[in-house]
Amino acid sequence: MHEISQPATTTLAVPRNRAALWSIVLTMAVITALTALTANSYWLTTLTSAFALALAARGVGLLYAQLGLVSLAQMALVGVGGWVALRLSHGTALPFEAVVLLAGVVTSIIGMIWGAPALRLQGLYLALVTLMLAGAFQIVIVATGFPDGGPGLLGRADATQRLMMQRPALAQGGTAYFIYVALWLTAGLVLVEYLRLGRSGRAWALIRRGRAAAQSTGVNMFRAKMKAFALTGFLAGVAGALLAGNVGQLDGRSFSAPESLFLFALSLVGGAHHWLGALLAGLLLRAVPSLLTDFGVSGYAATVIFGAALMHALITAPQGIAGQVLALAARLRKPGKE
Amino acid sequence: MISIQDVTVQFGGVRPLNALYADFTDPICGLIGPNGAGKTTLLNVLSGFVTPIAGKVLLDGLDLLPLSPEERFRKGLRRSFQSEQVVDDLTVWDNLMAACDNLSPASPNPEAEVSRALHFVGLSQDAQRLGAALNLFERRMVEIGKALVGQPKVILLDEPGAGMSEAESAILRQRLLGIPPNFGAQILLIDHDVDLIQATCSQTLVLDFGEKLALGPTAEVLRNKAVRNAYLGVE
Amino acid sequence: MNFLSFIVSGLGIGAVYALASVGLVLLYRTTGVLNFAFGAAGAVGAFVAFEVDALGFGLLLGCVLGILASTVVSSLYGRFIAPVLAYRDTVTRSIGTLGYAMVLLGCIGMIWGELPRRIQFPTDKMFITLFEVRLTYTRLAALVLAVLVVVVLSGVISRTRLGLNMRALANNRDHSAMLGVPVLKVEFFAWLIIGIFAGMCGILMANLVGLKATALTFLVVPAIAAAIMSGMESLPRTAAAGMFLGVAEAVLSAFPAIAPYRSAAPFLIALAAVALMPFLSFAPKRSPNRT
Repeated sequence: MHEISQPATTTLAVPRNRAALWSIVLTMAVITALTALTANSYWLTTLTSAFALALAARGVGLLYAQLGLVSLAQMALVGVGGWVALRLSHGTALPFEAVVLLAGVVTSIIGMIWGAPALRLQGLYLALVTLMLAGAFQIVIVATGFPDGGPGLLGRADATQRLMMQRPALAQGGTAYFIYVALWLTAGLVLVEYLRLGRSGRAWALIRRGRAAAQSTGVNMFRAKMKAFALTGFLAGVAGALLAGNVGQLDGRSFSAPESLFLFALSLVGGAHHWLGALLAGLLLRAVPSLLTDFGVSGYAATVIFGAALMHALITAPQGIAGQVLALAARLRKPGKE
Repeated sequence: MISIQDVTVQFGGVRPLNALYADFTDPICGLIGPNGAGKTTLLNVLSGFVTPIAGKVLLDGLDLLPLSPEERFRKGLRRSFQSEQVVDDLTVWDNLMAACDNLSPASPNPEAEVSRALHFVGLSQDAQRLGAALNLFERRMVEIGKALVGQPKVILLDEPGAGMSEAESAILRQRLLGIPPNFGAQILLIDHDVDLIQATCSQTLVLDFGEKLALGPTAEVLRNKAVRNAYLGVE
Repeated sequence: MNFLSFIVSGLGIGAVYALASVGLVLLYRTTGVLNFAFGAAGAVGAFVAFEVDALGFGLLLGCVLGILASTVVSSLYGRFIAPVLAYRDTVTRSIGTLGYAMVLLGCIGMIWGELPRRIQFPTDKMFITLFEVRLTYTRLAALVLAVLVVVVLSGVISRTRLGLNMRALANNRDHSAMLGVPVLKVEFFAWLIIGIFAGMCGILMANLVGLKATALTFLVVPAIAAAIMSGMESLPRTAAAGMFLGVAEAVLSAFPAIAPYRSAAPFLIALAAVALMPFLSFAPKRSPNRT
């Protein structure tokens, strides 16, 4: 009696979103190849750490764009990852890859323990809690000295000895290590995108839409947020380990609280909604201070620039530079429209 | 079947629902009443967003009140809201898939389920469109489609026909009638459109100031004098 | 170990936290912005006060000009940037102030660098003895100031038209505008008032713990924590929460084992407060209806 009520017998083609993942791999391959072929050793080192930080920035962007959560401790978490990596590398004989993964896992756990209380509350509370983490971590660094280059699991570097973290056997040279980090970055970006386009991304989208929408669709809000938070911590930890491998040691001062603010600001300036934004954030974070030093301008100018850029992005470009670039590209592709 | 036993809701000094008893037994049941009668509050009690101070709510004998909204979803309860909740930056397909994701036990073939629901609500061709690109009617259909995945037991619809044209309303009517036979779900429908209620609901509850004014076969209820006085404005 | 002396010494910082958190709650209730730039604005005032004093114009003029500087800095944001973000969600509006904090922090760094300084008051050496513990006049003044401000401000909010307008705004910005509340003006006033608060807090902190831009910027963390603990509602309760955090921080530093980490105490206490908040009866159920 109801003509429309015949059940469908054919299953619709399932969209796989493979193209989005391949576009990351392709873009990264091109950028990496061009850089590896042209950059001198100074820029190779700079870009290597920019790539590592892009990984951390992707985590910040993920939390902000997917869940409206503000994480202001990402650089402190990078520091945690770097610390774990250095200790593991000096204290054990684990291969480099295992050290990187373990650094990611430990950082993720520390981030979760700290952030979990706030995740039950509104987005702003996480901003506050992570700001505390950034502040507290800075105090710990000052109080303990950042255990950097000594032997064993707790050793400190002193005047007589300063151990360096060994790079992976595969990637000893500057160019090789740059490509190695680029591979990690690509894998991280693909992982985030895969989750964003899949089941987790749908749950995050529902939470974004509203509490009622999420709950009445069966989404466990705490678990979904926790997953994003764990992922963010993991990316920070991996970034820290890769940074440690880049120079062989780390300076505690580069994980101070203002640095965490910079990373957050630039993640939004680059564009939190798209993986390209994270790449831009990493580049800005490393390139701007280097350029300022080249021009002989005070390092504090970078703070002013980053802060102003954050306000500018919030007001005029909520999708960040990446959003503007992509919109421009879309307009060029379809000149007829608009 | 939904059984509401002695449910009372209190907000401060107001009782949007007061000692309400009602058993919904028919495949499609209507819920009508003037503004502020407690219709949406009742839906919120059923879906877990409002906790009553007294009473019981049973879904096929299962006590719903101790369960969270998420758990009620898994037990087969679905609902739509007065203001639709389609996610703008997900495709139609993903909007439905988002519901499939949270089933427990997991659906053996989620793609087939989503396809079937999309086909039923007439959106097969639109699976890849973004939520933002949909018109009101399509958005309502996405909401209904979302309620159909995962073998729902009861679907609560809060004014699904609001803002629809005559023609769209007619299609909605057809689709609603098709849900119980095709998906085995019972529907509880709030709407101000008495024609829609008459055409689809065999049983109807009339609420007024949080109390039951009448409950029974729709035609009978609508003839009821008290109902006509309170609701239809007939003196 | 005499805990009483730590409690008394914590009263000074507690008073500053109380002042700061009361200012933050006032602004949040009026504009829906959680002001992360509060500490940085206070730092600007403190550095100006220090500079004016160092140039030989006297501490009193320094304090006046310092508070004025903080007020100007805060008002500028309230006049030019906050209105542009007014219709965005609470997170975006608050993050805007974070950008501003960075700008201020950078400017301070460019002008004054990182050398730690301290503002000395003549009242530092004058004290009364309370429970055999010295309470300096500076701390006493901070306490009196905090109490006075809470009383006066509560009066302003419940008795005057400005207060009425602020309460209306806290409830609903659009409806208030339709009812003829001069929204921009009232919000601007809130920014102005919080600027004065920031100036006072900055100068007091520069005296109590030292003048360092980053540290003063992070003064905002325990202040926000106190504001959250009180549920972002009542001013006296907020002040009490701020006072509690200050005293708790001082008492924790009584234990030598954690003394090197004691500046982390406000963060840890605040974290505990936020973590426990869902279980506290006075926790905010939701933000003001503004998004």
